[in-house]
Amino acid sequence: MDEDILTTLKILIIGESGVGKSSLLLRFTEDNFDPEQTLTIGVDFKTKRLNIDGSRVKLAIWDTAGQERFRTLTPSYYRDAQGAILVFDVSSYATFSKLEMWLNELETYSTKNDIIKMIVGNKIDVDKREVSREEAMRFAKRHHTLYIEASAKTKDGVESAFEELVHKIIQTPNLWDSYEMNNIHIGNKGQPNQSTCAGYCSLV
Amino acid sequence: MADVLSEIVLPEDLKKFEKIYHEQLYKNDVTPKAQFEYAWCLVRSKYPADIQKGIMLLEELYKTHEEGQRDYLYYLAIGSARLKEYSKALNYVRSFLSIEPGNQQVVSLEQTIKKKMEKEGLVGMAVTGGIVLAVGAIVGFGMAIASKAKS
Ligand SMILES: Nc1nc2c(ncn2[C@@H]2O[C@H](COP(=O)(O)OP(=O)(O)O)[C@@H](O)[C@H]2O)c(=O)[nH]1
Ligand SMILES: [Mg+2]
Repeated sequence: MDEDILTTLKILIIGESGVGKSSLLLRFTEDNFDPEQTLTIGVDFKTKRLNIDGSRVKLAIWDTAGQERFRTLTPSYYRDAQGAILVFDVSSYATFSKLEMWLNELETYSTKNDIIKMIVGNKIDVDKREVSREEAMRFAKRHHTLYIEASAKTKDGVESAFEELVHKIIQTPNLWDSYEMNNIHIGNKGQPNQSTCAGYCSLV
Repeated sequence: MADVLSEIVLPEDLKKFEKIYHEQLYKNDVTPKAQFEYAWCLVRSKYPADIQKGIMLLEELYKTHEEGQRDYLYYLAIGSARLKEYSKALNYVRSFLSIEPGNQQVVSLEQTIKKKMEKEGLVGMAVTGGIVLAVGAIVGFGMAIASKAKS
């Protein structure tokens, strides 16, 4: 039931069309994969409950279409998001090159200054890789974002990506605390950051 | 919490795309893009009259601009559901799924619509009046119990 939910977090998924945003979401919420995943229309939405650091949180996840023709309207969904997942396809350098643009767009339209950003290099199951893990990690470090590699197809890294992002948000009470009517005690609030994976995340 | 049927367009977005559309209308040269963007805002408005207008614009697009038909169908379903015209909404969903069976996004829209109908006690709407009355009575009964349990 809703009573023991600590907070509801708004998470965004952005990135070029075809990199696997919807597939990552489907894997995470329904543990499913569709090799013929169709193009997202505008913006899609799914929820998921998660246990993190002893707290139950509800995630409201907005999956955006990366296609040009929806670009003018999708940024209005960035408002109030506490976390953003920026996806690229490790087998396509072009999608990696676009990350800078996506980060800028996030910078422009997100309303929370300390929004937690995570870059996900997806499709690591594919043989022909165009973006090395090292290069992606360097990029993430430079832009102060988390980095995780994943495959929506094989499941690798998918759950850890979302969990790590939520963990980081929970550790930043500024992002969500003021929304709560009554302050419920959270697991390890106030304790120093114990994550082994803070800042620049280990890889799967 | 806001989902695809309850999130509301920002007034400034609505104004912005309304302006673009009207400028093009004035020059008698409306692009499908401008019309779609305006309609997308309208169907997410909190005012039923806006939603109605959005639906009109989408219906027109659906007939004239084949390329974006799946987008228009999807937002026609959303607009209708927001107006509580559920059987119309479900018809749009069904036509979509007959073209793209199993489309994740549309299947989940269908579920969201059905959940909303259930919440409003509208399941069984399609059957005869007598049964609707009976369902209504049961829902009323359930709510009485729920409110007792709370106090
Ligand atoms: N091999 C492989 N294919 C994937 C993976 N994730 C997504 N895909 C495929 O890539 C295509 C685009 O995925 P989609 O989720 O629609 O991308 P989106 O446009 O970013 O939402 C689809 O055909 C998916 O089945 C993955 O991890 N590995
Ligand atoms: Mg998609």
